[in-house]
Amino acid sequence: MPQKRFSIGRIYLALVLIVMYLPIFYLIYYSFSSGERMDGFHHFSWVHYQALFQDTRMISIVLNTLVLALLSALLATVVGTAGALMINGIHNRLWRRNILILNNILLVSPDVIIGASFLIFFTFLGFKLGFWSVLFSHVAFSIPIVVLMVLPRVKELPKSLKDAAYDLGATRWQAFSQVTIPGITDGIMAGFFMALTYSLDDFAVTFFVTGNGFSTLSVEIYSRARQGIDLEINALSTIMFLVSLILVYIYYRFSTKKGAKRRLNQ
Amino acid sequence: MLKFTGVKKQFGSNVILQDISFEIEEGKFYTILGPSGSGKTTILRLIAGFEFPDGGTIAFDGQTINQVPANKRQVNTVFQDYALFPHLNVFDNVAFALRLQRVNKQEITARVNEALNLVHLADFADRELDELSGGQKQRVAIARAIVNRPKILLLDEALSALDHKLRKEMQTELRQLQRRLGITFIFVTHDQEEALAMSDHIMIINNGLIEQSGTPVDIYDEPLNHFVADFIGESNIIPATMVEDYAVEIDGRQFSCLDGGFEPDEAVEVVLRPEDLDITSVAKGMLTATVESQLFRGVDYQIVVRDTEGHEWTINSIHKTVVGKQIGITFDPEDIHVMRFNESQTDFDARLATYQEGGAHEQE
Repeated sequence: MPQKRFSIGRIYLALVLIVMYLPIFYLIYYSFSSGERMDGFHHFSWVHYQALFQDTRMISIVLNTLVLALLSALLATVVGTAGALMINGIHNRLWRRNILILNNILLVSPDVIIGASFLIFFTFLGFKLGFWSVLFSHVAFSIPIVVLMVLPRVKELPKSLKDAAYDLGATRWQAFSQVTIPGITDGIMAGFFMALTYSLDDFAVTFFVTGNGFSTLSVEIYSRARQGIDLEINALSTIMFLVSLILVYIYYRFSTKKGAKRRLNQ
Repeated sequence: MLKFTGVKKQFGSNVILQDISFEIEEGKFYTILGPSGSGKTTILRLIAGFEFPDGGTIAFDGQTINQVPANKRQVNTVFQDYALFPHLNVFDNVAFALRLQRVNKQEITARVNEALNLVHLADFADRELDELSGGQKQRVAIARAIVNRPKILLLDEALSALDHKLRKEMQTELRQLQRRLGITFIFVTHDQEEALAMSDHIMIINNGLIEQSGTPVDIYDEPLNHFVADFIGESNIIPATMVEDYAVEIDGRQFSCLDGGFEPDEAVEVVLRPEDLDITSVAKGMLTATVESQLFRGVDYQIVVRDTEGHEWTINSIHKTVVGKQIGITFDPEDIHVMRFNESQTDFDARLATYQEGGAHEQE
């Protein structure tokens, strides 16, 4: 059936996309306004971008957020991958399921509760709130998602691959590093990217566990927005939107190429 | 070269191998044949070193290797699912073992190409696995296993994933490859036809025990017991009585046969292969039967008949008959193979020796 130019489905899709993207484009639009508020476009100007690049506090917070995200995603990927391999190695089916349930509970429980419990935990231990407390909690809430992304790949990996590696003379470590890990790389990468976005995104947990000296972008934007909207935020949002657009594009180019190859195989 | 002595293996309370003893000689093609769950793959995994025995000894060139892990054994395996490394291309898969040993680059290239040549994949070195057919993957798996020049090559149901035609081709090729390399092949399969076609020696496994061990011809012509007779080829297994040596009573009628060394009036089972039976008129027949079904199979008809005593006989004939018709069955004395109940292979061989000395038997 040939697609009509204006079918109901297409109009619906267009509406959904407009509703989803309109606020962002609204934000972007005003980032180029020379006015101080979003109450009417004055004339085109880069003034908010200039202000943003001179705002060292904001730039250091952006860098903090990125470092935090990369570091927590990296740690969570290591721990989560190890966890997925171990969960897969549990022979007792009941145990395996229960541990997986414990993993998934963390995933679905509200961020506020996780944040509050971390706050209680850190204050109980007398742990100073700051970069390390935020990092620790980001790693903790990212691990379950890494486990969830890696585990299916581990399960898909034929057991005979490991046997084949031993058979060909590999030691346990060689079989692990040269066969198991390359076999689940897709899952590990997906887990890492998910952990990265989780960390960049997170507001609720971070809000609880940041101390005075340390802040992330989401917390900073929130606190600034309470004092009235500053168009510098718009400029920042525009840059972040473009960066994520590029990242997503790269990710899809990368993953669909591999995906297409794999599909050929089947 | 490789010797199993009273090997036992169990997983939990599940006994897989009860008591397995055999010896493997150098340069031969062995087949371990058995139904699924018989323990044949476990034997292979014990040889490879993926599992370790719970009892008995496994010796390689006179040295016990019970606890030697797989990566220290001069044995390589071709897996049922090929187990090729998906992130590596054909060349790198085959080169895997050599790279682990840090063989120099030139030698790796030479040896990988040689192995790929042997399996007729010389031009495929740079291909990704996705670009290969099932048969080609199978060949890569074989090349990967022989590149390391093992003393023994194990093949675990290696051809079962291929279609019929390709499987036949690979059977011939494997046999040729084995002759050319001179390596001992141990092939595990549940396909009796494959076993008969390829092997120098077959071991039939059932319930964790070796039922019979011998050349394909020996096993086909002289199955030791009901299980082997039934498992290898098509067969009619009919209860009978040994009236005396060289005379067997089937359905109350006495026939001469070539088997001896029995007690008088001993209850036995006789095996008659469907291709050895002929259909004739009732008057000329040695037994009378009614045709129950007829199946055209291309080369012949498979005809199932029921005799007057209610025993079912399968007959393979190139002549067709009519369902419901009364027919006569004929066979020659040498077509009858008599099986004693619960006879071990040693006892069977001993009995065979006693009456074959007279030259009454003209096997092979």
